Amino acid sequence: MTEPTLYETLAAVLAKEFLNGEVGFTGLLTGKAAAMFGTAIPIVAMELARRTHAPDLTLLLAGCYHNPDFSQLEAMPDSEHDAVLRDLSTEAQTYDYPGQWALKRGDISFGFSSAVQVDAVGNINSVCIGSYDKPKVRLVGPILQPEHMTLFRREYIMMPHHDRRNFVEKVDFISGVGFPGGEAGRKSLGLAWGGPALVLTPKCVFDFDRVAGRIRVRSIHEGVGHDELRDATGFDLGDLSGVPTTPRPSDDELTIIRREIDPRRILFSPT
Amino acid sequence: MPSPSSKLQSLEEAAARVPDGTRLAFGGFAVYQKPMGFVRELVRQGRKNLTVVGSAQSYDVDLLAAGGCLSCVETSYVGLEKHGLARHYRRAVERGEIKVVDYPEMVSWDRFRASQEGLAFWPVPFLGGSDIVRYNPAIKPFACPMTGHPMHAVPAADVDVVVIHALAADERGNVVFPARRLLPQSNDVLMGRSCDTVIVTVEKLVSNAFIRKHSRLVELPSYKVNSVVELPYGAHPTPALGAYHADEKHYGEYVAASESAEATAAYLKKFVHLDGGNDAYLEAVGAAQLARLKDMDSLL
Repeated sequence: MTEPTLYETLAAVLAKEFLNGEVGFTGLLTGKAAAMFGTAIPIVAMELARRTHAPDLTLLLAGCYHNPDFSQLEAMPDSEHDAVLRDLSTEAQTYDYPGQWALKRGDISFGFSSAVQVDAVGNINSVCIGSYDKPKVRLVGPILQPEHMTLFRREYIMMPHHDRRNFVEKVDFISGVGFPGGEAGRKSLGLAWGGPALVLTPKCVFDFDRVAGRIRVRSIHEGVGHDELRDATGFDLGDLSGVPTTPRPSDDELTIIRREIDPRRILFSPT
Repeated sequence: MPSPSSKLQSLEEAAARVPDGTRLAFGGFAVYQKPMGFVRELVRQGRKNLTVVGSAQSYDVDLLAAGGCLSCVETSYVGLEKHGLARHYRRAVERGEIKVVDYPEMVSWDRFRASQEGLAFWPVPFLGGSDIVRYNPAIKPFACPMTGHPMHAVPAADVDVVVIHALAADERGNVVFPARRLLPQSNDVLMGRSCDTVIVTVEKLVSNAFIRKHSRLVELPSYKVNSVVELPYGAHPTPALGAYHADEKHYGEYVAASESAEATAAYLKKFVHLDGGNDAYLEAVGAAQLARLKDMDSLL
């Protein structure tokens, strides 16, 4: 078995988080790195969970396509509502809002967000850099982030780049709410459930101290040093001495990913 | 018995329903089935101070930004998906020329649901802690009268005019939607039911007999529609479900042009500031290119 890639490692980390019977929602992100982190890794992770411990997991691709048959895929889709996805075999297609999934009742167990900034309490931002009224950079807008971070039962934040400008003490605009004031803080804001569970990056996996409402390093990827991680992060990481290395996928997991889920290397296509 | 009246108008006449300062919504969603022919006409006529309200925007808002037609945008997303940020829009916002009012995606749909139901607001239970509330005085906090739970009242979309691009309609304004719809078409139906002035551009004008044969698919009946404009390829370069795919070649040309003022001016001259209306636009794109875009959809 050849060495696991970063993407395979992250997919295996994620797969272990999903429970049987859950509903997982991916957006369809575009652009090479964002599509890998926001769409391809989540798809492989959910397919791996379905083939190991969670056969009843529902994969909701692009928020519309229920359990699509990826074996029919000829290329990674790069558009939500055009023919590639429309014609893919699925169990149900969402064609209306409100559709099959009752968003506000909490039907979605977990989703995946990407953002330009994430901060020390897990807030995310895809609206602007700089001031709101006269931004240095105007970004795309909140999109579905507010819903992902409150109405979904939990959220995995998928960051394709790990740099000081992405990991900041405080985001310039809160488009998705993390754990300000911890779980008690969320409750006082009227948020009954949800929030970020993990943040996955090319360097590490973060989780949250949900009482203190503070991000912390759960594991560091093989080959990434503590100084490198601190240099690339704009908030204090605390004591890293006891932090384990991100676990490698097992040979069985790698076999499933390579032979069953992505045999033609469409999802994890070589760059 | 007198004949039912015709809602058929020229593109020029229909665009006159959208004067300077109009608060309007475009159907479609993000980069899908936007009424681009109508948008080009607004740019060509030099409209000013428009407010666009929607759920997700792309080439529609970006082209209006290129034409200097916008003062405000209320939506959840403005971008070109795989082609990145919408450059004209981004620059205009950074210069302070366009005010942006950000709304979450599903809340943006719910604002039109409020208008459809004749409500002034839609109750939203999940905006606590979000800067969306902090920067928007039109969103009001309140306590749920049943449970006391903290909520926010988000204003209804409340637009003056809705413009959608659909597959077909008859002259009276009965609009048919394909049986196999996707979310962008659902947005069109919702928007079309949420407003008193609805303009529909269509790929094909059909007979009333055709409409009667497909009455189950008439989601917007004639009394909901004020103007019908026959506008083949009226969503181009965005796709129209069951008619044509996105024009990736044109997207590339558009995006390249949006990198500089000179290239933008050349693009607008070639594709927008045309005498001869939609026909001239289709000539500029070229018959061979349009023919390649045909969408087979389904054989069933």
